[in-house]
Amino acid sequence: MRFLAIMRRDLRKLVRNPMTLITTILMPIVYLVIIGNSFQGQLKHLPVALVAQDHGLYARRMVEEMLALQAGPKTLDLSFRDDPGAAIKDARDGVYKGVIVIPPNFSHDVAEGRIGEIGMFTDNVDGVSATALEGAVTEAAGAIRISFVTAREPKLNEIALRPSWLYPYVDYDRSLIPGVIVMAMFMGSLMCGVFNWVMDKFMGVTECYLVTPLSRWDIAGGILASGVTITSTGGMIVLFMGLLITRGTIEGGPIALLTLVGIIVVGSAGLLAMTFAVLGRAGHPRLVGAFSGFLNVILFFPSGAIYPVESFPPWLRTFAKYNPETHAVSAIKQILFKGADFAAVGGDLMFLVGFMLLMLLLASISFKRTL
Amino acid sequence: MERESAAAIETRGLTKRFGSFTAVDKVSFSVAPGEVFGLLGPNGAGKTTLVRMLTTLLPPSQGHAYVAGIDVGRHPHNVRKLIGVIPQALTSDLDLTGWENVDIYGEFFGLSRRERRMRGQRLLEMVGLKERQHDLVATYSGGMRRRLEIARGLIHSPDVLFLDEPTIGLDPQSRRAVWDLLEQLRKESEITISLTTHYMDEAESLCDRIAIVDGGKVIALDTPVGLKSVVPGSDRIDLAVEHDAAKIAAVLEGQPYLRGVTRDGESRLSLATDDGSHAIPLVLGAVEAAGDRVTSITVHKLSLEDVFIHFTGRTLRDEGAKKVSLLVGAGMPQQPMRR
Repeated sequence: MRFLAIMRRDLRKLVRNPMTLITTILMPIVYLVIIGNSFQGQLKHLPVALVAQDHGLYARRMVEEMLALQAGPKTLDLSFRDDPGAAIKDARDGVYKGVIVIPPNFSHDVAEGRIGEIGMFTDNVDGVSATALEGAVTEAAGAIRISFVTAREPKLNEIALRPSWLYPYVDYDRSLIPGVIVMAMFMGSLMCGVFNWVMDKFMGVTECYLVTPLSRWDIAGGILASGVTITSTGGMIVLFMGLLITRGTIEGGPIALLTLVGIIVVGSAGLLAMTFAVLGRAGHPRLVGAFSGFLNVILFFPSGAIYPVESFPPWLRTFAKYNPETHAVSAIKQILFKGADFAAVGGDLMFLVGFMLLMLLLASISFKRTL
Repeated sequence: MERESAAAIETRGLTKRFGSFTAVDKVSFSVAPGEVFGLLGPNGAGKTTLVRMLTTLLPPSQGHAYVAGIDVGRHPHNVRKLIGVIPQALTSDLDLTGWENVDIYGEFFGLSRRERRMRGQRLLEMVGLKERQHDLVATYSGGMRRRLEIARGLIHSPDVLFLDEPTIGLDPQSRRAVWDLLEQLRKESEITISLTTHYMDEAESLCDRIAIVDGGKVIALDTPVGLKSVVPGSDRIDLAVEHDAAKIAAVLEGQPYLRGVTRDGESRLSLATDDGSHAIPLVLGAVEAAGDRVTSITVHKLSLEDVFIHFTGRTLRDEGAKKVSLLVGAGMPQQPMRR
């Protein structure tokens, strides 16, 4: 029965270390809420541009059906546009998930018994949203068939959707690359930066730094620079390995590659500074370990890396809006798969720069040069 | 920068409080340039807090400290340029080689590559690690790491070197090697050394003067010889009796050939005398006359340890209760309980 002594010892240690208890009990509940709401939710508020070039009877009915989808299940957020070219450009810049074009002769074709065609341009990089969008428009077309019976018996069964992808095909494995890069950035920033610092502090190594003429900026800047170097290199290695495994390429050439490097560097610096601001004063590496898993879950899963942000409940969507990983994933996706230019990722990059500056400020306030 | 004190180390009413707990209480002393100054004291006496204030790691709550003539509170950055610190914990980077540890540390002090190479090689030779300088520190023994850290702490030729328990946990050979190094340093340079230690023999053989710290105060400060002269009796007789040490203590108390009698546990006594060999037969006779029997008896010259015990007493210094943070738990470093 001597094993009971071991058991008693472990239980006492656990009870006397509340952080371990919190990690063991509370974290899974937080994970459940975050992960549970990050997957398999019904997609809502998909931003879609509708270009109705036909104002005939069946075109109007198509529009009405799509407005019903917006008002009812809230699947779509419709924007009415006149110029299909401009709408498609905006979709390429990430403003819309897709563009629906009802051509000028749609009602006429339907009325004449010909096949009525609806054009649809989807942002196929977000495969889940693209499929949901196609489903919604097919549903709208189907509703016309059921709801309207006319004496002239138009060919309602033959309203056809002509889907077009705005970008080259991105399979599921490739679609995960931006998320994996961002996760590598996060893990790298944690392990190279604050974990090393707290471990050195715990072992007493920092004491011999603090008695030298190094300023707090020397110490913080050095840790940041080494962390960003390692983390960014790690992110780039993950990027190239991902492309190698999935046999993918970077749309957009060398400029796109440079922009990607910029996003990874700025994102890594922001994450490094964030982990310092949150955990820089921890006295034991155990705290860093406990929090790292927590931070990883609450930042990664609501980032849109795996499932679109549009499927999240409103509270999680609001969180995702201010989550740096959402912007890093979005920017990397746009550059990597869409060949977007610097201007197209300007919003995400601005957010990442702002986040980095804010976190650097908080980290500098939190960083102490004395014991 | 103009010196504000001619001493290598000077404290004036230096105080450190953590909440209502006073760890260092109005400490004043002065250390001359080139002196090896020892800080002795029981656990929790305030030695480490005192050294941490002198090395700019903790700001004083009150009073002033000057190191290399510069006010530690007002110009910590300037003080850091002039001090070398060897903390108690082994702090060399395990993932770097011995040379890399020394070289990078020299860079912290703004030394040029040439200066680092010249001084670093000389110091590594001095500490006997030249042959192993390109091996990872992870492969070094504790003694080698300590010697490396002494070399690292001297890379910028500091005016004052602070050593906190430099030989703790080392085997006798490594301890002797560190002592030899400090002796060599003392002979070859004008460096001032502040040595915190628990080892009385270390303090006695290395230090010019010793401060005994207890309860946050300096309770005695003198040369080892001077400290010994304060304690009555030049010899110590330790004896154990079979039955009743308290009764024998009462019998021996007041004997003209003894300068003091101290109980040391249930059956042991420590006797102070000016002539041990003369006093032993008299003590044996007195014990027998009192109806008891001596089971062991030894005589030795007064040591610094006796002096230390004389000043600090025999009571064990258990540290006060500490407040356990609900957030971090019992397994983490804790702050002292605010009283």
